[in-house]
Amino acid sequence: MIDKQKLVKIVGTGMVSDREEDLEKYSSDISFVNRVRPAYVVKPGTAGEVQKLIDLANATKTPLVPVSSGAPHFKGDTVPGNGGSIIVDLSGMKKVEFVDRARRVAMVEPGVTFEELIPLCTKEGLRLNMPLLPRKSKSVTGSILEREPVLMPGYQWDMSDPLACAGLYFGNGEEFRTGQAAGPGTLKDQWKVGAVQKAPYGPGTASLHRLIQGAQGTMGIVTWMSIRCEVLPKMQEPFFSASHDLDQLLDLMSWLIRLRMVTECFILNNTNLAAIFATDMEDYQRIKETLPPYILFYNIAGYDYFPEDRIAAYIKDIAVMNQRIGLDTGKSAGLISADGLLKKIQKPCDEPYWKLCLKGASQDIFFLTIYDHMERQIAAMKEMSEEIGYSPTDLGLYIQPIVQGTGYHCEFNLFYDPYSYTESDRVKDLSNMATKSLMNMGAFFSRPYGDEANWIFNRDAATTDALRRIKKIFDPNHVMNPGKVCF
Amino acid sequence: MALSKEIYRELEDIVGEEFICSDPAIMPSYHGSDLGAVVLPENTVQVQAIVKTCNRYKLQFSAVATGWTGSFKKDIVYIDMRRMNRIIEINEKNMYAVIEPYVITAELQAECFKKGLHFNVKGAGSNCSAMLRGHGHLDQSTSGDDRNHLAIEWVTPEGEIVRSGALGSTDEWFCGDGPGPSIRAILTSAVPPGVTPGVFTKAAIKLYHWAGPPKYDIQGLSPKYTLPEVPKNMMARYYSFPSVEKMWQAEIRLGENEICMELMGFNVSMVAANIATCNEDDERIFKRLNKEKKGPGFFVIIAGNSDNDFAFKKKALEQIVREAEGESMKSLEDPETEGILIAQCTRVTASIRETFRAGGAFSSIPIMSQRDLTIKWAIGAGEAKLPLIKAGHIVDDGGAFFGWGVEQGHVGKTEIFCKFDPANEKAKAAVEKWSKEQGRRAFDESYFALMMGEVSDDIKANMCHYDKWWIALTRAFDPNDVAPQGGPLV
Amino acid sequence: MGLEQYQGDVNMCCRCSACKFIPLQHVKSYDFSYVCPSISRFQFHSYSGGGRANIISAGLKNGFNYTDKFLDIVYNCQMCGACGVSCNYAMDMELQEPINELRIKCVAEGKTHPELERVIKTLKKTGAMVPVQGKRGDWAKGLDLKDATKEKVDVLFHVGCLTSYNKDMHKLARATAQILKKAKVNFGIAGDMETCCGGRAYQMGYEKEFLKQAKMNMSMIKKAGIKTVVTACADGYHAFKVLYDKYELKGDLKVLHITEYIDMLIKEGKLKPKKALDMVVTYHDPCRLGRLGEPWIHYKGKKIPGDRFVFDPPKEYRRGTKGVYEPPRDIIKSIPGVKLIEMERIREYAWCCGAGGGVNESNPDFAEWTATERIFEATATGAEAIVSACPWCEVTLSQAIEENESSLKVYDIVELVAKAL
Ligand SMILES: Cc1cc2nc3c(=O)[nH]c(=O)nc-3n(C[C@H](O)[C@H](O)[C@H](O)COP(=O)(O)OP(=O)(O)OC[C@H]3O[C@@H](n4cnc5c(N)ncnc54)[C@H](O)[C@@H]3O)c2cc1C
Repeated sequence: MIDKQKLVKIVGTGMVSDREEDLEKYSSDISFVNRVRPAYVVKPGTAGEVQKLIDLANATKTPLVPVSSGAPHFKGDTVPGNGGSIIVDLSGMKKVEFVDRARRVAMVEPGVTFEELIPLCTKEGLRLNMPLLPRKSKSVTGSILEREPVLMPGYQWDMSDPLACAGLYFGNGEEFRTGQAAGPGTLKDQWKVGAVQKAPYGPGTASLHRLIQGAQGTMGIVTWMSIRCEVLPKMQEPFFSASHDLDQLLDLMSWLIRLRMVTECFILNNTNLAAIFATDMEDYQRIKETLPPYILFYNIAGYDYFPEDRIAAYIKDIAVMNQRIGLDTGKSAGLISADGLLKKIQKPCDEPYWKLCLKGASQDIFFLTIYDHMERQIAAMKEMSEEIGYSPTDLGLYIQPIVQGTGYHCEFNLFYDPYSYTESDRVKDLSNMATKSLMNMGAFFSRPYGDEANWIFNRDAATTDALRRIKKIFDPNHVMNPGKVCF
Repeated sequence: MALSKEIYRELEDIVGEEFICSDPAIMPSYHGSDLGAVVLPENTVQVQAIVKTCNRYKLQFSAVATGWTGSFKKDIVYIDMRRMNRIIEINEKNMYAVIEPYVITAELQAECFKKGLHFNVKGAGSNCSAMLRGHGHLDQSTSGDDRNHLAIEWVTPEGEIVRSGALGSTDEWFCGDGPGPSIRAILTSAVPPGVTPGVFTKAAIKLYHWAGPPKYDIQGLSPKYTLPEVPKNMMARYYSFPSVEKMWQAEIRLGENEICMELMGFNVSMVAANIATCNEDDERIFKRLNKEKKGPGFFVIIAGNSDNDFAFKKKALEQIVREAEGESMKSLEDPETEGILIAQCTRVTASIRETFRAGGAFSSIPIMSQRDLTIKWAIGAGEAKLPLIKAGHIVDDGGAFFGWGVEQGHVGKTEIFCKFDPANEKAKAAVEKWSKEQGRRAFDESYFALMMGEVSDDIKANMCHYDKWWIALTRAFDPNDVAPQGGPLV
Repeated sequence: MGLEQYQGDVNMCCRCSACKFIPLQHVKSYDFSYVCPSISRFQFHSYSGGGRANIISAGLKNGFNYTDKFLDIVYNCQMCGACGVSCNYAMDMELQEPINELRIKCVAEGKTHPELERVIKTLKKTGAMVPVQGKRGDWAKGLDLKDATKEKVDVLFHVGCLTSYNKDMHKLARATAQILKKAKVNFGIAGDMETCCGGRAYQMGYEKEFLKQAKMNMSMIKKAGIKTVVTACADGYHAFKVLYDKYELKGDLKVLHITEYIDMLIKEGKLKPKKALDMVVTYHDPCRLGRLGEPWIHYKGKKIPGDRFVFDPPKEYRRGTKGVYEPPRDIIKSIPGVKLIEMERIREYAWCCGAGGGVNESNPDFAEWTATERIFEATATGAEAIVSACPWCEVTLSQAIEENESSLKVYDIVELVAKAL
């Protein structure tokens, strides 16, 4: 095992811990991955320290597990895959380099959370394309690296959005900057002439930012990221359309996105909508009873020029679409108001985190899919729940259109009591079974975590082989988060 | 030089004798290179077999779609993708099309328009492959470059078939990323010159809503095609501004408010080229527009999805332009001209007029990046063209540059041309010098680095040694060194 | 003349591939986007207009190497001019002309095609481009038509080789005569004295033979004092009107295609199609009536040195703008009960029937392949018949219909008019 003093020399005393309770925190999470205790937790404060840590790891063949967000963790990606690992906790790197209104971009270090960045953006008249209700401790960089789906699909032009550029050290310790940030010269040189780090492509032929996303820290460590921001609306008008018939809602939703009429736009089932608002189980039941099975939420925004006109125009046009489809639109669904939901989702989640609020834990099964398959997949999921004894009505559902409507993130949230073996075993079984069988029904698990990752990669040997060749280049000594993804 | 009989026969067995040729007669039409052979595969399996053969004999190959540009080394196997020209699917609900490399933009666009859809069209024009990456007039609302690809079917330089994203796992085309890190990182389909390692045999590209008519009712005879009227809920205008700064302000606001389907920062010389049906006309119209314009400007097309949408967009457009002291060029408001520009700039059918018609050659410095930054550089590059214009080496465009907004102004493109007669050695040398100097200045002043053609070591070093990674990547996938080795892209 | 004069033009080719497709703004579907039969059939870029320009450009620089493939490229082309039109939407350069000149050069240097040689041999012997059966004037037997070489007439009806010698095509000549008679036109024919216009020899690259025919025709015309020639064959029209003019043989002879003439007669009220025909048809523009039928432009000038490919005096290009497109359509529309639906590729960017450039003779399969494409396109419109205005189109399209067991009918426009009178 690595000598602690070597770490202390890099990051300073107080920034290296091998205390039992610290190590314990990183030994497991809410997912079902095996417990593995790290050897140390180190908290670098600068990019230079990160680089030194990587160099040391290479020299000593010590695995590094980069972590940006604070607990709780859900997906097993930050639980070491090997013993003797060092957790590189970046949550202390909290610098916000800039928020630039005219170019709609912000640059942050990995420890910056949504909670911290949002007010700075708001001040500049900007906002972030957020994931759904991230927990307070969630790192913005972490979320983007994970390719978490975002609420405003119309502004997600590419799967990699809202990543603009990133500064990082690859697994072999070499520094790299993606996109426009690559050069010429240093960031400071670029700033001097008025460059911000916005364009994601390049440098040269490759678009390497795509490699560090979805990598779960296996390619390198990101020390800053610039993030594409959107303009803060002058006015907003959120709505619900609810139905028993999911297809109707999908139909409407696809047109809302195709015609770029809406900003935030997604579907929740009554379980999830109630769970988001409920303070406890009783409250949850009370709210849920008033909700129709599926609720489409969408928001119409007006910007600096004639916001009323824009909103009025789209309300009128959407009314015509609703009529064609046979849907009603309203400002509330049961006890929940659209304004209330809008307010909630434009911030991180209040404590306690909504997924934990009901039963203490949640196992999320999520995949990407297309319009054509979704209803069948949802029906199958319900059948499997039934079979395993998990009440289908307790299944949370979240459907998020992605990349301007070219696909959907479909997520089931299985709330359970982590202290009940029966419940957690059931959820674990259901999760295994569902992943396998949904995969056979066209579900694409683009972000595989935990045990399931193996089967998922096994399905596509050619891509897996390509990824392994790439990995060898960037992390030849295999020090970056081994045991994750397909490495 | 022809291939050995053995190799030739092997390739012939793959594609059939009708679809392979190494006769010197055809070489002038293949970029004047003395190729080993030109082969025309019909499907992915044939491509794979060709690539494997190339690996076996360590023969270099290059896949080409329409092959508008590019230079190709002698003795290579030139894989002409012409016969792979099928539209596999236009998926309306999920907004993507799956196509083979030789579907040209004009074809796919015609089919998409019928369904109320369209896609990003390379500024190079609708004569180019719809499958390969590019950027152009419609980037403002349809993005550009490698950002429009979803899943890709890729024959690697070694001849393996990799199907990226959802395609590899579930046979669906809607997503090209994952599982895990995205191999789109290297499947960028670079243009020009082509440096994608291996061969793309099919790809899904994103589709966008098309608010225009299902087809244009083109009137008249070549070379003047007009529309009988401006299509409903569409409008095209050219605005010029008192300064670059004001123009940029307007661009930004139009982007933020999501007003334009197209925001093409044409200079008036390019507008003239679009409208004019011959070189002489081009010169006349340019002179006229150059007098009429207030300063730098851009061309916009707005398209409403409904009357309400159109009314809002028009009102906001006019207000934004007014605030930036922009003025519409009145002579271009004439409905016939407006119609010509709408049809031409959405179908992108006049790029040849803009580039090659005048002198037969053009040299360009293109940069995709942050628009305000690159414009700053381009002003200087434009001024540096003036002596060349004065000397009669290049076509007079007023020393202008051009460019456009991308993704509602999130990013942008700036480009600057010199059009000249390639047979005129003095002109050629002057243009080369200009190009070198301006490229170097961009780098020295930290605006951007040009990475086309030969790139000097200091540029590489100052661009995070990008080349080193690319070389490592290509080595990992191309151990026999048979795939095209890449210069990078625009 | 000669190929060398086009060096500047062929050097201008930027390899954009526009020459392969109909003008890009007109592309209305995936199915009918191509315009050049040769590249569509043979696939290698060399078979396209641009590819040919590249070959010429290199040849002029480094000399020509007449390999079998080279000649295959040269002769598998209908010389239909479509590439030039598509190119000239955007470019100021000659394309069809250098392609013609390359053929001529090949023939002049003895690099001929055996089948075409055979045809020319027949021409030399018989004055006809087709196998001769009977006499040229046989079709007119019993019609009591004037002999224009002997009698004073206002109009010479030049019938052409195919219509004269192919018995199946006699109906066209008869219909034409019937129409002219009905309109009381003082016309005559040359009967057995008629000789080939030479147009198809030109297309095949046989400039000398073409000129011989042209001179024979013009001398007969001059001798007979004929002021106006009407042809019912697009090749003949092109020869008399464009090629004779190009070689400065035409003088002030007025040349009209029968569709122009009928259109004029109808508009002057001298002809009135009255009978309803009740059919839905589509119209096929013959290349040499349409885009290639536009008048020759005599040009002499010099490239202005400098940045642009421009000339002093300004050069006007033949871009297919002034071909004969409306008269046949107006005629069809004037026939009661006939509904005209257009194909996707029409007027200046019409797809060739396949018969041009000697391809009928040198590579009949290719001609039929080309015609088959057209038949599919016509069928896709829902029309029951395809109407053309040239016997070569009719013959080639008919063969393709037969081969494909299509139910589509083919008519020449004169047949429809005659039926409707
Ligand atoms: C006048 C002009 C204007 C231009 N303007 C623009 C512009 O505005 N925007 C823009 O984006 N580009 C522009 N370009 C570049 C243009 O996109 C390229 O020249 C391109 O070559 C056009 O033809 P194509 O798409 O058919 O590709 P090709 O020329 O056939 O191919 C481009 C490159 O990709 C490689 N390639 C082709 N097919 C495959 C395949 N199946 N698999 C792997 N590699 C392949 C080839 O090796 C080739 O080098 C312009 C070019 C010209 C000449």
